[in-house]
Parts: sequence; structure tokens; C-alpha cells
Amino acid sequence: MILLKLAISSLYNRRASAFLTLFTIAVSVMLLLSIERVRVDAKSSFSNTISGTDLIVGARTGDIQLLLSSVFRIGHANNGVSWQSYQYIKQQRGVNWTIPLSLGDSHKGQAVLGTSADYFQHYKFAKKQQLSFSQGRAFAHLNEVVLGAQVAAKLGYSLGDSIVISHGMGNTSFHHHDDNPFTVVGILDATGTPVDKTLHIPLAAIELIHSGNHTSHEHEHEHEHEQHDVLTGEPKQITAFLVGFDSPLYTLQVRRNINQYKPEALLAIMPGVTLRELWEMLTIVEKILLLFSVVVVLVSLLGMLTTLLASLNQRRRELAILRSVGARPWHLFTLISIESLLITFLGCLVGCGLFYLLMSLATGYLQSNVGITITIAMLSSYELVLIGAIMAAGFIVGLIPATRAYFYSLSDGMSIKI
Amino acid sequence: MINIQQLSFKWQKQQVKPTLAIATLSIAKGEHVFLHGPSGCGKSTLLSLLAGINRPTSGQLSILGCELGQLSKSKCDKFRAEHIGYIFQNFNLLPYLSPIDNVTLGCQFSKPRQKKALINSPTLNQEASRLLNALGLDEQLHQQNVASLSIGQQQRVAAARAFIGSPELIIADEPTSALDANNRQSFINLLFTQANEANSTLLFVSHDTSLQPLFNRNIDLLSLQEQGK
Repeated sequence: MILLKLAISSLYNRRASAFLTLFTIAVSVMLLLSIERVRVDAKSSFSNTISGTDLIVGARTGDIQLLLSSVFRIGHANNGVSWQSYQYIKQQRGVNWTIPLSLGDSHKGQAVLGTSADYFQHYKFAKKQQLSFSQGRAFAHLNEVVLGAQVAAKLGYSLGDSIVISHGMGNTSFHHHDDNPFTVVGILDATGTPVDKTLHIPLAAIELIHSGNHTSHEHEHEHEHEQHDVLTGEPKQITAFLVGFDSPLYTLQVRRNINQYKPEALLAIMPGVTLRELWEMLTIVEKILLLFSVVVVLVSLLGMLTTLLASLNQRRRELAILRSVGARPWHLFTLISIESLLITFLGCLVGCGLFYLLMSLATGYLQSNVGITITIAMLSSYELVLIGAIMAAGFIVGLIPATRAYFYSLSDGMSIKI
Repeated sequence: MINIQQLSFKWQKQQVKPTLAIATLSIAKGEHVFLHGPSGCGKSTLLSLLAGINRPTSGQLSILGCELGQLSKSKCDKFRAEHIGYIFQNFNLLPYLSPIDNVTLGCQFSKPRQKKALINSPTLNQEASRLLNALGLDEQLHQQNVASLSIGQQQRVAAARAFIGSPELIIADEPTSALDANNRQSFINLLFTQANEANSTLLFVSHDTSLQPLFNRNIDLLSLQEQGK
């Protein structure tokens, strides 16, 4: 007890250097925890984005590019899939359901997805969870729109609001489809996937807004206007489509067929496999990040070692005084160990505080800009193990000055050096 | 109290001449002994032997009938905590503790000594305060930062730490060397008063022979050693 009291008052006495040491450790702990949390959550965000879909089919491009453009709304698909091909593949044996996806339009920077009502029934994320409505229902008419949770929250829309879709991606699109306002009829529950940031409209409506029955935009866009047969909703082409089979056994066979489909160059990917490939590409980055944060922790601990060792020489008098009142060399060893443990412990504590602060500040940004959902939860057992490892490393580093104090006290005895 | 017979001490085994050799020396309980000798005559070595930091190479050294050479190192530390109060030359205090805490530190490593300190006052802090008052340190200084105290005041705090729990032996290693003549005199008088009150033996080490007349016994370490060789 007396040793703890001595350690605390001694640290308090050297609070400037002790605080700096503590702070470096805290920052390194924060960094390590943040990187780990973002890494783990990014991974689960990634793999939770789509599930239950056996194939994603699009125009021939790279596997990862197709996955990114169709599911993550990152990048653009250069080509589409013709409606005929879609219809043909839809008829294949074993196909249980398909979801057409038509991307390329936006509303105030949020992606607009043209799709069918099957989307709300068959699209699954995380552990085969279906989309659910927090308010309203699926679209049933051409001028109805269903919003992702985040779109509604961010833009402040509620049921019954009327919104306008613009052509092309981005906020600054000059071309607004003013003549075709949509009414909000449904808002989805949050999923933590790009669905949250998407506006869903009927596939046929995409055609409608592009083929508007006005003349002012015609010189800007060379849309081949189809007949105004919007009710049947047959677009010329779609960006991609998702396929679910009666049994996963069909997957490989149909995939081969699609990839060898003669009339059009198509590509079918299995989302799970491609997600894994994508993640593997990122693991090197992930490992480098981890390595860096571990190095930062080590550097901060070395900083503590330097501070403790530097102060120790000035404290030999202190050690001799403690010896004179009966402290054993072992006590002095413990005293210095307690000091380093205290610094590391408080550093970890402050680091966790900083970590939560950073996370609460960054969640919004990460969610809306990178699409990673950060869970502000208790520290996971893995994170506790990390903190434990830092504490252990701090303790081991602290043994060096402690051993030194032990031997100083043996050699100096009662004679006061310096 | 202290009994030394044929004591010799060498720092290294190969050493031909011992650093310290004393044929016989005994100090009775309650004596105020002035131990002097020129620098390098082995004063510090003798003190480290008495404090149980080092062990005699040969011969007997007993304090309170306890043969220090026979005790294990940790028992020596325990013995010191319990029976010996030690005052250094200067800079006796831990800079991060208040004067009161510096004084109570004297009995933190020994339960028996704590018990003895609590005979005089209900709490350790009160006992520390009582001793500081007795040594002439004003009440308002008791909780102050030790760095703001003068050297004289610091030495009084150090003395109070040595006296807390009334140890049987007080060793003062040139405690007055940083004080001026007036302070020196009054500090030594305070030591005497406290030593009498606590019934402690006082071993005062110095090379300043002008202090000699104040003590009731003088030991010249140099001549003592000559007899030993």
C-alpha cells in the first residue's frame, strides 16, 4: 500500500513528464484500437452487404468491378445487359428469382436504383436478412419511391413527400428530371449496407424519366425514346441483375452458361467468392496498418522506458533514503514496476476514452462516405486482449528500470550518490 | 547495545589490507557517542555495517544482542526498519512527500515500529506532528512542499523521521555539515533531547572535531583502527 502511495505521489511530482508519457501511450492505444475496430467492422460491413444471392450478372468487366458497381455503388458499369438477355437467363432452369438493377441516376448525391418489387422480397443482407419497412410499403406505381433509412434521415424526407430525380451521378447534375416527381411511399429499416443510401424506384420509371414527354432536354440527351408504354415497364437494358436459384447446385452450371453466352458479352460472379477476393486484396493494406499501429505502441512504450531510466539516476538518493527506513531492494523494484504499470494502465484507460471519442465523431463520416458501419459497443474480447498485451508489454518494459533500481539499491546502500 | 569484536571488512576477497579493522568497541545504551576521523578512514564503511547493508568479513558485530552477520539480508532490512533511525548528511527527504509523510515513512516498513510510534499519539500523523513540533518546526510548515523548507528545517524533518517509533539506535551521518555554527549547536541539542526522551543511543559521525565537547563519549576511528591492525 505504501509503495502504491509512494508511486502515485512520485509520479504526481513528475507530472509533466509522466503525463506526456501517459499521453503518448494513450494515443497509441487509441490508434491501435481504432484501426482494429475499423478493420473488423469494415470486414463485416463488406461481407454483410449481400447474402442469399447466388449470382450477380452484368456486362463483361472485372469480377470486382462488377461487384463494386452493382452492390456497393462504387464506380460505374460501362455497359449494361440487354433486356432480351435478361429475359433469356431468367427462363433458365433452376432460376428461382431475379432482381434487375438499373443504376446511374441520383438524387442529391444519393444513388437511385431502378428495380422490381422482387427486390424487397429477395434481396438479403448480413445473415440472410430481408429488407423491412420502417414506414410505408413497397412501390406499386411508376411515380413512387422507397427510400433507404439513411437517405430519409439525411435529407429529412417522410412519407408523402415529393422528390425529383436527376440524371447522372453527383450533386451537381445540371439535368433534373423536373417533370417526373416521385412520391415517397416507403422507408426501409437501416441495414448498414449501401441500401441505406439508395432511393428505389420502379425499373420502368427509370425509362420514364429518361424518355420524358417534353422537348427541352432532347438536345442534351440522345435517348432513343421508346414508345410511351410505361406500364409494362420494359427498359431496353439494365445495369445488372441478381439471381437466386432453387438450389445452389445450379450456380456453377448457369454461371458457365452465362459467361459463354454468345449474343452478348456477359459476366456472372458469385458474390461471396468475389467479396473474399476483394477482401484479400485489402488484407495487405490492413496488415500494414496493423503493423504501423503496433510499432506506434512499441515506440510509446520505449518513450516510457527512456523517461523512467532518465529519471532513475536522479532518484538514487530517493532509493537510498527508502533503504535507510528499511525498504528492501525488492520493495524498490516493486515501486518502479508499479510506476510503469500505473503509466501504462492510465495510458490504456485514457486511450480507450480517446478511442470512443474518435469513434463517436467518425461514425457518421465513415457511414456516409465509406459505407463502413462502426459499432460503438463495449470493447470486444479481442480488443481487451490487445489492451492486455499492451499492459503486459508496459510491465515488461518497466522491469528494466525496476531491475536497475534493484541493483542501484544493492550497490549504493546507504551512501547517497550525486 | 553495540558490541564489536575483532571486526574486519574487505570490499573484495582478494584485498590484502582490510578496509576496516576494529579489535573491540562497545557502546552502552543511551550513550551519545561522537565518532570522528579523517575522510577515508572507514566511517561510511562502519556505518554501512551497523545499518546491516554490508556484512563483516570476519569478527562479531552485534546490536541489541543480535548478531548482524548471522541475519539474512531481508532480516537485516527488517532489523534496520525496526531498530535504527538514520539521518543523512543532507537532502534527507523525499521531495514528493509532505514533511508529515516524510516523517511517517520512518515506520512504514516495520509494524513493530509503527506500534511503538502509536504509544505516544493516536495516529501516525499526530505522532509525526508532535515530533516536528518538538524539533521546532512550526505547525504551518508540516504540510508544505519540502523543497520550500530551509536546509535546517529539512534536517529537523529528517531527525523527526529517525526518532519516530523511538528506535534504539540513531545513526547521524554528518547531519550538521550543511548548517551554520548556531544552527549546528541547536540542532545537536534537539537531537540530545529527543534521544534522551526516547531512550535511544545516538551515534553521531562527523569530521568536525569542534563538536566533540558536546558529547559524553568520543571515539577516534583512526586510533581505534590502529589498535585493530
